[in-house]
Amino acid sequence: MSYLAAVALTDDQKAARLNGVPLFAGISPESMGRLVAVAGEQAFAPGTFIVRQGQVGTGLYVIVDGSVSVIRGADDVIATLGTGDFFGELSVIDQQPRNASVQAAEPTTVLALASWDLLNLLEHDPALSLNMIRGLVARVRAAGEQHRH
Amino acid sequence: MAMSQQELVDTLSGLALFADLSRPQVEAVAHKMTEESYPTGQRILRQGFTGTGFYVILDGEVAVKIDGNEISRLGKGDFFGEMSILLGEPPVADIVTMRQLRVLHLGGPEFEGFLREYPAVMLRVLKAVALRLRNANRWRS
Repeated sequence: MSYLAAVALTDDQKAARLNGVPLFAGISPESMGRLVAVAGEQAFAPGTFIVRQGQVGTGLYVIVDGSVSVIRGADDVIATLGTGDFFGELSVIDQQPRNASVQAAEPTTVLALASWDLLNLLEHDPALSLNMIRGLVARVRAAGEQHRH
Repeated sequence: MAMSQQELVDTLSGLALFADLSRPQVEAVAHKMTEESYPTGQRILRQGFTGTGFYVILDGEVAVKIDGNEISRLGKGDFFGEMSILLGEPPVADIVTMRQLRVLHLGGPEFEGFLREYPAVMLRVLKAVALRLRNANRWRS
């Protein structure tokens, strides 16, 4: 397996960490409860790949501790993400293969949300969908700015 | 010339963005949004400057330009304007009509409430924005 070990966070600890993630700001208590119930935490050693470009995506990851490098192709680091950031959402939404690899840059703990559970939450909680759209739009803009320079 | 309400509802029902809505819901959408026409060569949104609102293309074509470089074209059923509304910033691109354009327009302040009212439309917007991000990453690399 690619992860070190499951980290045993209690539901209260998970909720506390997820509460601080912008993606989940303002979602209903019901959604948060469901999220805590279905999200599983995984820990990765530095250098471990969490997702690989070209693979079919099975979920969304939220970084609760640590940082990751987003890599396109062999070694082109296009972004670094840290605590509170999320990745892997594109493949969940459009069911296309991952468009980049993500590698742990230091000891990193993520909460993983399976595609099915995420889509279910998106369908039932407009606040989550809006947050997700905002996050994607900000990335589209960032991509446009890099394109320009 | 503006369409009749009936024609407008028929047109909207055929667009992917509204495909999951019931007829009464589409009628409500048609009522809420304003139909507008623009001649060829007009800038509807100006990068870094002005223009606000959510636009759904009923007929025609626009070019999306960043710093004068065309990065894509949008046609019937596509939408634009959501980025600057959601980011709370001036438009990130110019939107220029390539031929006579007919759109439905919703004011920026109403956009979030509109999406919350129609979660099915929100999911369609989400998928479209995801596709845009994939394309944006493609032309970056």
